[in-house]
Amino acid sequence: MPLIRKTPEAKAAPVENLPAAGILQTGSAEERWAAARAAADAPSGARILGEALLHEQDARVREAIFTSLVRIGSETSVDAIVPHLRSDDPNLRTGALDALRAMPKAVTPRVHRLLHDPDPDVRVLACDLARAMPSAQANTLLCETLDTDESANVCGVAVDVLAETGVQECLPALARCAMRFPDDPFLAFSIKLARERIASEGDARRMADRHP
Amino acid sequence: MTEEELARLCDFLYRRTGMSYDEAKRYYVERRVADRMGATGSTSFASYFALLRADVQGEVEQLINAFTVNETYFYREDHQLRCLTNSLLAEVIKTKPYDASVRIWSAPCATGEEPYSIAIWLLENWPQVDAYEVEIIGSDIDTNTLGAAREGVFGSRAMMRLPPDLLERYFVAQGEGQWRIIDELRESIRFTQVNLVDRAETATQGKFDIIFCRNVLIYFDDASRRLAAENLYDRLNPGGFVCLGHSESMSRISPLFEVQRYTDAIVYRKPMGIARV
Repeated sequence: MPLIRKTPEAKAAPVENLPAAGILQTGSAEERWAAARAAADAPSGARILGEALLHEQDARVREAIFTSLVRIGSETSVDAIVPHLRSDDPNLRTGALDALRAMPKAVTPRVHRLLHDPDPDVRVLACDLARAMPSAQANTLLCETLDTDESANVCGVAVDVLAETGVQECLPALARCAMRFPDDPFLAFSIKLARERIASEGDARRMADRHP
Repeated sequence: MTEEELARLCDFLYRRTGMSYDEAKRYYVERRVADRMGATGSTSFASYFALLRADVQGEVEQLINAFTVNETYFYREDHQLRCLTNSLLAEVIKTKPYDASVRIWSAPCATGEEPYSIAIWLLENWPQVDAYEVEIIGSDIDTNTLGAAREGVFGSRAMMRLPPDLLERYFVAQGEGQWRIIDELRESIRFTQVNLVDRAETATQGKFDIIFCRNVLIYFDDASRRLAAENLYDRLNPGGFVCLGHSESMSRISPLFEVQRYTDAIVYRKPMGIARV
């Protein structure tokens, strides 16, 4: 039989136990990767990782930083990630959004503020984050966006999310939004679809209630 | 269970294992908790949860065992096994000296069908199997299934995909539709308990050339999936491969790996040129 069996110790690798802050600033890419992963268990890990994220250029190390911040899942983690939603680097921006999506509990209290960010691109991403929130909360915030946001793009994404999470109570806000952007045929079309979908789900629910 | 009790239990389970359950899975959770309450003689959720938190008589492990899904069979998703011998191993040995060791990890391995399948498949389909030291490790979080894997006794349901000649070559009939894998094969595979989202635990397994990690990441939430993906990445040698279940995609979990499309399967590769840690 050519297959072999070795004792666990034969190939065991030591777990990295590194002083994260220093290595994240000065180490090689491999060392920074290991330090970023270890930092999730370090005191002040979120702060250290947030500082490292500001200058880290290696995509792999950034990914480890994001994952450790997600694992910590604190308000500090969210604060460290949110500024990167404004990055010009699409990889960093996407990485930040993915990380925030993976920590819905920590992100939920910040979505309202993000929906009022001066940068419409951030507001678009915030609508997407609302998708993971409890529906009732998300619907309230997104209906407010439909009534107040000046960007048709932002409203378009809010409509897209409401098509999934919306209930009958969202229909008036959708109608008002269509009236605010009368010259945007794509938004009008999205709103029509969302309204039809919400209305049909409401009908189905009423039928189920009548015939349990 | 009340809503709050369910949330507490799910939170506890998530922190220990990375497995994510919520109100939508209430029936699944309640059934398993009820089983464990019965087994421990607990008369209320509160008394069971107190026992669980104190880990009386290894109850944490027992509960984890109750939550892991362990049904599998020999030669499951055999297109990946074909990919292993038709494509992956050729890539792996390109950079290895003759006689070097090739390490393959099956995680989670459940009751052992997958690592034993890999071993049988290699013996049957890889002409160079004698030229390399092939080390196969099966790991799982569930200690009950690991015990069964070490035992190597399987029922006919697990053997449904195995041709009769292989059954004869690698198994000994035990009667009553039970078959025991031959000792030579049983003793060539090492089984270890590992939680895939635990960085320290996975690190003790060393580095691998190929990892089979099928049908487990679907049970994790986004955060645990990311962590597990990084742990797998860390455990791979540069150029090493991860094989996931047919409904899983690493691209949706982590950008760390390169997608490799072969005739038999799509797999994920750790880029070459990453230094060994």
